[in-house]
Amino acid sequence: MDRNQIRKWFKEPAKMANKYSLHAIYFCTGCGIIEVPPVITSRWDAERFGVIPVATPRQANLFLITGYVSVKTLKAIIRTYEQMYEPKFTVGFGSCPVNGGMYWDSYNTIKHLDKYIPIDGWIAGCMPRPEAIFVAVTHLWTLIDKEMANGYVRYRENYNLYRRNQEMALGKLEWPPLYSPDGNREEDTRE
Amino acid sequence: MNELLKKELESIFKDLQVNESQAGRVTLIAKRGQVLAVLRFLKDRGLDHLALLSAVDWIEEKEFELIYILTRYIQDTDDDSGDGRLHLIVKTRISRENPKFETTISIFPNAEPYEREIYELFGIDFDGHPRLTPLFLERKYAIPPFRKDFDTREYVQEVFDKIPFVGDKDK
Amino acid sequence: MRVVEIVLSPLLALVVGVFFLGLARKIMARIHWRYGPPLIQPVIDMIRLFYQKSVSHGRMFDLGIIISLTGSIVVILFLPFGSICPLSNSGGLLVILYIMLIAPLGIALSGGQGANPNISIAISRKFILSLGYEVPFLLVLLAVMTHYKTISIIDVVSAQQSAHWSLLSLALFLSGLSYFLVLPAMLGIRPFDMASAPQEISSGPMVEYGGKYLALAMIEHAFVLFINIALFVNLFLGGASNPVTFFVKMLVVFVLGLFVHAAFPRFRVEQAVKYLWKWPTLLAFVGLIIAVVARS
Repeated sequence: MDRNQIRKWFKEPAKMANKYSLHAIYFCTGCGIIEVPPVITSRWDAERFGVIPVATPRQANLFLITGYVSVKTLKAIIRTYEQMYEPKFTVGFGSCPVNGGMYWDSYNTIKHLDKYIPIDGWIAGCMPRPEAIFVAVTHLWTLIDKEMANGYVRYRENYNLYRRNQEMALGKLEWPPLYSPDGNREEDTRE
Repeated sequence: MNELLKKELESIFKDLQVNESQAGRVTLIAKRGQVLAVLRFLKDRGLDHLALLSAVDWIEEKEFELIYILTRYIQDTDDDSGDGRLHLIVKTRISRENPKFETTISIFPNAEPYEREIYELFGIDFDGHPRLTPLFLERKYAIPPFRKDFDTREYVQEVFDKIPFVGDKDK
Repeated sequence: MRVVEIVLSPLLALVVGVFFLGLARKIMARIHWRYGPPLIQPVIDMIRLFYQKSVSHGRMFDLGIIISLTGSIVVILFLPFGSICPLSNSGGLLVILYIMLIAPLGIALSGGQGANPNISIAISRKFILSLGYEVPFLLVLLAVMTHYKTISIIDVVSAQQSAHWSLLSLALFLSGLSYFLVLPAMLGIRPFDMASAPQEISSGPMVEYGGKYLALAMIEHAFVLFINIALFVNLFLGGASNPVTFFVKMLVVFVLGLFVHAAFPRFRVEQAVKYLWKWPTLLAFVGLIIAVVARS
């Protein structure tokens, strides 16, 4: 970790702070959440990396989507993701968000999560070991350093396409669009 | 199984087959009209926990099979097989075209979500159920998804694979 | 000189408070047999939070947290930190008693516009809890004011430095004990952290805070820690003549509070009030009687 390099802190404080203070929203999406409690408690301590779970999406900037995503869960995931403040990072954990995994021919799960919300990185496995979460966090740091972890920027720029995909999967959405569809992408249209 | 219970069942209900495959596990195969009477009789004899109500799709025989699993909370002291708790399954067959059945809520009130689930996933209608609204699924399907003639792969290709990736046109 | 002290005092309190936040996480981690984050982790969190783009829920939402911070900073100006006390000649204990209530009030005002039922539950719990700890706290303060015949904290501190600590004097021992029993409730640490319980009510009034609001709420939390522990050290542990000794005394009290925080689960709010109105109130009442009798 380059947490101790004072010159980097003065040159790019935003990147360094985003790297070493990843607060993960504790939303237990699917079956993979069973791998997370040992990671955040004494067995493999994630707090020394700066990763702690928080209870509400407003305070979080990391979203771990663990396990399969059924159609009902996708609604909750989209609402949670849209409530998080930018910059925010998502990690698809397990093989089900990647390509459907074990449920690749199921009538009620979505197969590629990247079509509905932007994902910055994936962790393969069913379930991955807890050490894989740490590998993912360190890879995410590298991506943040190189400014390639810009899922939220992709979401903002292609919001029409994402919303169209969401409506194709979920039917009519009850919430209004997050960004105004005509040009003004800088302001959120709702809280 | 309690021998007294077995004798009573065979004498009261004609055409009821009682098979005990292992100690403490019994299967009753009943006719469609007898099911509610059998369940009421068993509940009075102490088997008052409906553990599961589920269905099987026998597509070649063109029938659905409804399965009721009953257990008892309190050990039966007269029963020296197994541990006295008697895992009992009641099976019945109904026809596959226009499947209907009566609800068992009057006997076991906790059958309500199971019947809702079976209605949603198999399409078996239950008369007398207070609300047969969707329980798990979010969308409408042409035929109920647990039936054996529902093609899951084709459904996935039709619905989910047609949704395009975002940013495809940039590649 | 006084202007320098007025600016310096809240800054020092901020540094000490943020250090305590980091130390809390580190010590809790070591108690749990793990390593824990570095000591400056709250600073890293605050820098990250200031770089996040947050969305406001309305004007009162913004103003509430600022009112809360202002209240805390004003209280700090009245508290002596070693030899630094900007507003030493004005009011003292009575003023502190009133202004200490502005901090939760500010958060309640901002939470009112947050439109989240978790906030309302948390605010009601916080105010019921403060109803619980205000009773023994007031009795303790009355005992102290009676014993030293003054309402100025500076006089209390200098009286202790010429004699001995209040906690060790016969007249005020029970009051000191009662104050120490009530201190976890005032700090908001377990077993009395039901106002901001992450697992039950999604962190209470901070559920809609994010970005810069959460950073300000963390600063507010640091100030609250500083204020309550500094008050206890000034009134019962002799204050200090220089900031370093004062800081060491605060550290001892804080680490003891952390041990309580690590060992206990959370009370329900009615259990907390029942506890606070039983033994601490009884001890404080007896202590008040002893102080009055000893003075007359």
